[in-house]
Amino acid sequence: MAEARLGWVEQLGKRTLGLIAEVGYLSALLVESLYWLVAGSFKRQPVRVSAVFSEMMRTGVSAIPIVFLLSFSIGIMLAIQGIHTLRTFGAESQVVIGIALSITREFGPLITGIVVAGRTGSALAARIGTMVVSEEIDALRVMGIQPVRYLVSPVLLAMLVMLPALTVMADFAGLLGGAVYSAMDLGISYAAYADRVISVLKTGDIFQGLSKSCVFATVITLIGVANGFTVTGGAEGVGRATTRSVVLAISGIVIADMVFTWFLNR
Amino acid sequence: MSFGHRVEKGYAVVELRGDVDLARSPEARALILQCLEKKNDLLVDLSEVAYIDSSGVASLVEGYQMAKKEGLKFGLIGVSEAALNVLRLARLDQVFPIHADLDTRIADDG
Amino acid sequence: MLTPEPQKGNAELVIEVQDLVAHYGRHKVLDGINLTVRAGEIHIIMGGSGSGKSTLLRHLLGLRRLTSGRISLLGQEIEGIHRQALLELRKQIGVSFQGGALLSSMTVGENVTLPLREHTRLDESTMAIMARMKLEVVKLGGFEHFMPAQLSGGMTKRAALARAIVMDPKLLFFDEPSAGLDPVVSAELDELILRLRDAMHMSIVVVTHELESAFRIADRITVLDGGKILISDTVDKVRSSSNSRVQDLLNRRPREEELDADAYLARLTGE
Repeated sequence: MAEARLGWVEQLGKRTLGLIAEVGYLSALLVESLYWLVAGSFKRQPVRVSAVFSEMMRTGVSAIPIVFLLSFSIGIMLAIQGIHTLRTFGAESQVVIGIALSITREFGPLITGIVVAGRTGSALAARIGTMVVSEEIDALRVMGIQPVRYLVSPVLLAMLVMLPALTVMADFAGLLGGAVYSAMDLGISYAAYADRVISVLKTGDIFQGLSKSCVFATVITLIGVANGFTVTGGAEGVGRATTRSVVLAISGIVIADMVFTWFLNR
Repeated sequence: MSFGHRVEKGYAVVELRGDVDLARSPEARALILQCLEKKNDLLVDLSEVAYIDSSGVASLVEGYQMAKKEGLKFGLIGVSEAALNVLRLARLDQVFPIHADLDTRIADDG
Repeated sequence: MLTPEPQKGNAELVIEVQDLVAHYGRHKVLDGINLTVRAGEIHIIMGGSGSGKSTLLRHLLGLRRLTSGRISLLGQEIEGIHRQALLELRKQIGVSFQGGALLSSMTVGENVTLPLREHTRLDESTMAIMARMKLEVVKLGGFEHFMPAQLSGGMTKRAALARAIVMDPKLLFFDEPSAGLDPVVSAELDELILRLRDAMHMSIVVVTHELESAFRIADRITVLDGGKILISDTVDKVRSSSNSRVQDLLNRRPREEELDADAYLARLTGE
């Protein structure tokens, strides 16, 4: 009995240590990628602009349709639920406030983050994991090319640009979805809806969403990359790392979102 | 040690010296292309070259190709055994006109 | 005056390994390795799988931390080396990995050009010509627009070699050049290694388990077994070595392990 309990405590201790080690590794990775972004060009080892652009295409531009579709749907759902709830108080015309605030502060960045975590986070883990397995990372290293500078910094920069950009688009798509349903159900004209949204929203609301998306960009990139770099065990290991990176990235986003929202709204 | 060039008997002669390596081959390339732009027939004198790496050889290749396009004569003179080995590796010894010195080249030109 | 013995100063030695010990977890994989590679020689590191030769290579490439001992490459100690110094050192070292390790997202030409693009400020046309020259050297002229996935095993190795030598390194590492290749292709690669040494005065370290290829090109051979060096000497001395284990390896005789009956019984019963 005592032995079993010790085992359990030991397990907890081991897990905690593992978690701390992982967070430490992620932080080191972040510091190093930022270091190369800033100091790379002074050391004549710049982060290539072309690499950043191709990452922006890959992570950002090609995610536009799906992010748009999902945000639009969320906008409609918020309108449906909002009107349903507010109807009990006879205040359904106030639904615009709810839609405007929850889209810009919460759902825009969150949906964008989850979509990108699923697409880019997993792709990063798979790409870098495959490179580890096929000795490409070692090859970069012995050629004197820092893998973090060459592979991670461009992605981080691209994500820090594209995620907020996608979030702005998601905000519009979500608000549009809300407008479409409100127009159908309550007969609010698009112009009136837009007026109401503009009067309700403050810069702070949008800014809150955008700063969240920057945090998400960092979390997705680091978790994807870290899982890729630590791949062991061949192709199967790459598969495991890919799955793990998606689950961890989405969990990371949601938890970061909660912490962020908690501190920003107290 | 900077590279030199002279004009002799109708040829511009670029004299490469010392190490023609990653650091100094851009200079050699610029000099060769510059002489060719002036529509001079060109010989590259390698007799003072201690070491030439593939960036140096690449500059020679580019020069030769440009000379051919412009219809100018091009050749190497004073090629040491070490330099010849580097050329041989990529079978370029069979590509470049190589002569011992300016006079044998002119004799060969007939 | 008699010809003096060639000086064995640091300038002559491109690789110096002293008392190298390395572990995987608690398992000791390299034990008391002492090794020197001289400038301009082709040095073969040989041994079966599990002999520790791959681990030794990773140490020589600075990809693993050593437990104890010291390694110096081209006169530079690599443990605790400053980042910038390591970078400079790596520009003078070429490595051809067993599986090629070409970046799969780039064409063969881009792969070969990569070190130049990252480390030099040469003109674009110079870099392109250099890359094509090296591809010609390894007989892959015209393949620059291929993707690595489109190449056969032998071609991949040759492309990797082209990338390894594109900066004209002083020291070249070649991991298992003949593994998985047919004898003709592998003989061609051997020929190429000899030509590279002669033309560029490279010092070349080849890790292999192929005896035939080893004897064809080596100046000196180091034989590893069970994480220890059995012998490190000239081809003739290795051939005529009286060490029975060396002879077993040379004649491809499987090793008769001495059987400890008690330990064996314990292993089988899992105790």
